[in-house]
Amino acid sequence: MTAVLSGFTRRGTPHPGGTVWRFRRNKLGLAALSIITFYIVVAVLAPVITPFADQGRGTPDLPNRLMAPNSTNWLGTDDVGRDVIARLLFGARTALLIAFGVVSVSVVIGVVIGATAGYFGRWIDETLMRITDMFLAFPPLLLAVIVAASLGPSTRNTIIAITVSWWPWYARQIRAQVLSLRERPYVKAAQALGVPNHRVIGQHIIPNAMTPVWVQATADLGAVILVAAGLSFVGLGTRPPGADWGLMIEEGRSFVLAGQWWIAGSAGAAVTILALAFNLIGDVVHEVTSTKAGD
Amino acid sequence: MPYLVRRFLTSLLVILGVITITFVVARLVPSDPAALYAGPRARPAQVEQVRQDLKLDAPIVEQYVSYLGELSRGDLGISFATRQPILDDVVDRFPATLELALLATLLSMVIGIPLGVRAAARQNKASDTSLRLLAVTGVSIPVFWAALLLQLFFASRLGWFPLSGRLPSDVSFNEPTGFFLIDSILSASPSNVWAVLRHLAMPVTVMALFPLGLTTRLIRSSMIDVLAEPYSEAARLAGVPERTVLYRLALKNALAPALTILGLTFAFSVSSAFLVEAVFGWPGIGSYLTSAIQRLDFPVITAGALVITVVYVVVNLLLDLLHAKIDPRVQLS
Amino acid sequence: MKFGSLRRLLIALLTIALVATACGGSDSAATGESTEEGSGSETTDGSEEGGSSDDSFVYAMPFGIFDIDPSSAFGTENILLQNVYETLTVFNPPGSADLLSPGLAESWESNEDSTVWTFNLREGVTFHDGSDMTAEDVVASINRTIELDLGAAFIFFPVVDVVAVDDMTVEISLEFPAPLDLAMSSNYGAYIISAEAAGETSEWFNEGNAAGTGPYRLTSFDPTGSTTLTAFDGYWDGAADITNVELRLIEDPVLAEQLVRSGDADFTYNLPFDSYNALDGQDGVAVTRGQSMTNLFGALNHERLSPEMREALVLSFPYDDVETSLFGGEGTRAQGIVPQTVFGSSDSLDLPETDLEAAAALVAAAGAEGTELTYSYDAGTIEQEQIGTVWQANLAEIGIDLVLDPLTFDARLELAQSDPANAQDIFTLFWFPTFVTPNDFLFTLFASEEEPFFNLGYYANPDFDDLIFEADAITATDLDGAIELFQEAQQLLIDDNAAVFMLDVPEISVIADDINGFEPNPAYANVVQFHDLSRG
Repeated sequence: MTAVLSGFTRRGTPHPGGTVWRFRRNKLGLAALSIITFYIVVAVLAPVITPFADQGRGTPDLPNRLMAPNSTNWLGTDDVGRDVIARLLFGARTALLIAFGVVSVSVVIGVVIGATAGYFGRWIDETLMRITDMFLAFPPLLLAVIVAASLGPSTRNTIIAITVSWWPWYARQIRAQVLSLRERPYVKAAQALGVPNHRVIGQHIIPNAMTPVWVQATADLGAVILVAAGLSFVGLGTRPPGADWGLMIEEGRSFVLAGQWWIAGSAGAAVTILALAFNLIGDVVHEVTSTKAGD
Repeated sequence: MPYLVRRFLTSLLVILGVITITFVVARLVPSDPAALYAGPRARPAQVEQVRQDLKLDAPIVEQYVSYLGELSRGDLGISFATRQPILDDVVDRFPATLELALLATLLSMVIGIPLGVRAAARQNKASDTSLRLLAVTGVSIPVFWAALLLQLFFASRLGWFPLSGRLPSDVSFNEPTGFFLIDSILSASPSNVWAVLRHLAMPVTVMALFPLGLTTRLIRSSMIDVLAEPYSEAARLAGVPERTVLYRLALKNALAPALTILGLTFAFSVSSAFLVEAVFGWPGIGSYLTSAIQRLDFPVITAGALVITVVYVVVNLLLDLLHAKIDPRVQLS
Repeated sequence: MKFGSLRRLLIALLTIALVATACGGSDSAATGESTEEGSGSETTDGSEEGGSSDDSFVYAMPFGIFDIDPSSAFGTENILLQNVYETLTVFNPPGSADLLSPGLAESWESNEDSTVWTFNLREGVTFHDGSDMTAEDVVASINRTIELDLGAAFIFFPVVDVVAVDDMTVEISLEFPAPLDLAMSSNYGAYIISAEAAGETSEWFNEGNAAGTGPYRLTSFDPTGSTTLTAFDGYWDGAADITNVELRLIEDPVLAEQLVRSGDADFTYNLPFDSYNALDGQDGVAVTRGQSMTNLFGALNHERLSPEMREALVLSFPYDDVETSLFGGEGTRAQGIVPQTVFGSSDSLDLPETDLEAAAALVAAAGAEGTELTYSYDAGTIEQEQIGTVWQANLAEIGIDLVLDPLTFDARLELAQSDPANAQDIFTLFWFPTFVTPNDFLFTLFASEEEPFFNLGYYANPDFDDLIFEADAITATDLDGAIELFQEAQQLLIDDNAAVFMLDVPEISVIADDINGFEPNPAYANVVQFHDLSRG
């Protein structure tokens, strides 16, 4: 079943040649890329951009609580008077930290396991892939929920929890790549010359197997951001006063009906736009790289 | 080995693996599993009791075997909040979630397949681009935020739908199946059915968003592949009308893989249920889990997740077997 | 663990899955509603928009009720118990001519020094099982509370002997003078149950059984869903207009607010205070601002916090900010633990003020910079979270890291009671009186305890214990003297930095505006006497 799942969401083998050029012609892709760049820039420069950096980090300002958007606080203030834009900017740091953290750690684990399985084959492959399947058998989010619940809520634990449910995707993908690369003449040649296994894997196989993984990983950042927002929404993610979009939606919920929409509203929009941008990248990259008639 | 048997055995193995993973997370991750399991109500003596009951001092393998033993007797443990066997609570609440998940799956198929076909037929035209944008948006909105938006506009502002719950408090009928849509139809009262539908509308819509986006995208890409096949081209050349090519020839070939999307769709609905049931006050297994989190009711969290996952594995197995029946080539792979 | 057992496991799992999927709902109480046997369709053709019909009432409860044993319950269960059971006396809202009204006792008197009390019972009162209420029942009820020694059993602390003088007269003798008539109006522990039920265990009650004389019978009990009450036809004070009551657990305040706005629920409380202002003037709902005997404080864990650290916490708390900006600005700073509406309070105690410099000096002197403290509060109670956030910022300035830890009340209470040395550092608690006496705040929350009960800062000071004991003993005979001692005891708590006394909390609730007859009584916080209500 999991094979089916990955087959569908990750169909097609990207052809790196010409990808960049074709990508640059794609307006949707360019738009998405600029959005992502924008988010990264404002996240990095958050303390410089906002005059309310302390509030972004969590310091309240009670006299100004629940102000509607105005010329000082462009998106208003939250229930303890913090500038919503400052919270969004620092929330972007949290979101991107989690997204890049989860994906990079997952890729590392995936590479080790996937390459080992694909290169050595036989029972090693069988065992590792069956284990991978077991992790993939959980509906998305649920495994992360159990892990986060037992570790307790914090940003670091969110990264761990999502990683636990994320690495198997890359393990599968790398394995498939390695399986085909293993039979290439230059690999055979290296093996015949007596190059040790770890060097064959490290120097000849992994570098050539990584391109599609990076493409996939980029596209996955959006999904990670959504899962992380979900975890903090149910109280398993970042703790107050940490800035986190999921948490802002949860806290802002209380005020939406009273007409104070700007807290939950803007945080939800922030998540949606960033996730949309990452997903569009994934979509476009898939479009420009996939071959016509499947694999 | 025949495909059926092989597929069945793999599922078995996966279930065993899922159990193992939850076991490992529950016993090895927390600093003191006994305290976590004993729950907040426990005094030190009770924590000690739990340590013995769970055989936490025993070798890990022995603990594991007895855990499997309990599961095989249908013993999922006791909830600390309700003091009820978790299995009872789960059985009580599962139909409510399943009703949402199935209807959301259905809705996403009914809308997503024609949208995907349409997008494929007009590949790279403006309407294709906007449909794709719509589909990507569907998979990019946090479901709980979408739930909030719907509540704000369609319940709070416009008053078209009730804000939360499964039924108004003054409506009740027999519940032989636990699926209120069916039960209300059995009660032969149109006003009951209407009340049930009104309550289902918003949660089902929200839960269908993600799978809808997914279905549209997948149908679109598999249709594009099929339309490029020589036989599609041949049919066109033979003068078969474009509509017929689309819906008869191509869709039929694209649908077999689409069947497997069902499993995915179902999985995403269940995950969404976890996030939106609490928002809609829906008495299903999702809200059961979210409130267990705030109660530190750890046995419920693991057991609930385990049951959902096992159901998911079983659903996938059934779908795969169905798939093999429709498309014999699968069996060879 | 070979094939045989593996197969059994699989079969078991598949059975679970199939049971859950296929025949799941057959005996389901998915909505938590009691579907009376066989009633096939809706009970009323209710208005499309509002959930409630004329004779039913939905109370959205923010906190779960888990123990409905009338002799031991000690939480928000009073919402239910006050309608199913009755007490001998009833405390009148502040401002009434008399302190008490007759309940199941028509009259009562005590001897000269308040050590022997005689209660003359009301004639013609029947229990829900049809039996008549007699002195035997009252004796059995009081004895049951004393013997169980749980919950609010302390209200009968001075009681030595309970005797049925005749069918309709009960005589109670005390070890020392005490205002027993007040104790008989208690929110907890003073309910009269039938002598037969008094022989039952707590489990029997918590299976959903009850044996009261109140205007409502308990028809179903579900701690995590809906509990239902039905009007009792044989009620001595006439049958109620509202015949069906549903107490529905809605832990999420946003949902509760939506339910009352849409008319799907008729009453709730514990909403964010900002919501009340938004609800003012909304069609269909009425915001009720009543007098309050509720306060909010943070118990400081004496097992974990040094005196310096406690003082630093007291000095770092943002008293002014909380008073002016949170709770809709409708609260007033707490003057000690006893709210200003309760006798024995004082407005001239020597209170600490926010002083971050002094707090920082204390932390530095103790070398405690970088310490992490936990703040335990009710998940979903947004004001407690706001307080935590503001306090957290103050503490960050003096090098203390405050971790906010939201849990449901029952979960955090049990954590706090289980192991003080490893429990929270700060436990926030809304407290309203068990029965109206300063000692309820002083004794229950701060008297030394062998095992933690509601003294959740684990404060232990023999001088304090002596003071309140003495004050209680003279309450019935020398009220002014007692008040002086109560005030002295409060000052002692403040000087010891026993807790952070935050706010006298305004008591606000929302009720459907077509409901008549709702008169909140601060002595019975959050209780709605459904019997008094009518719709239209």
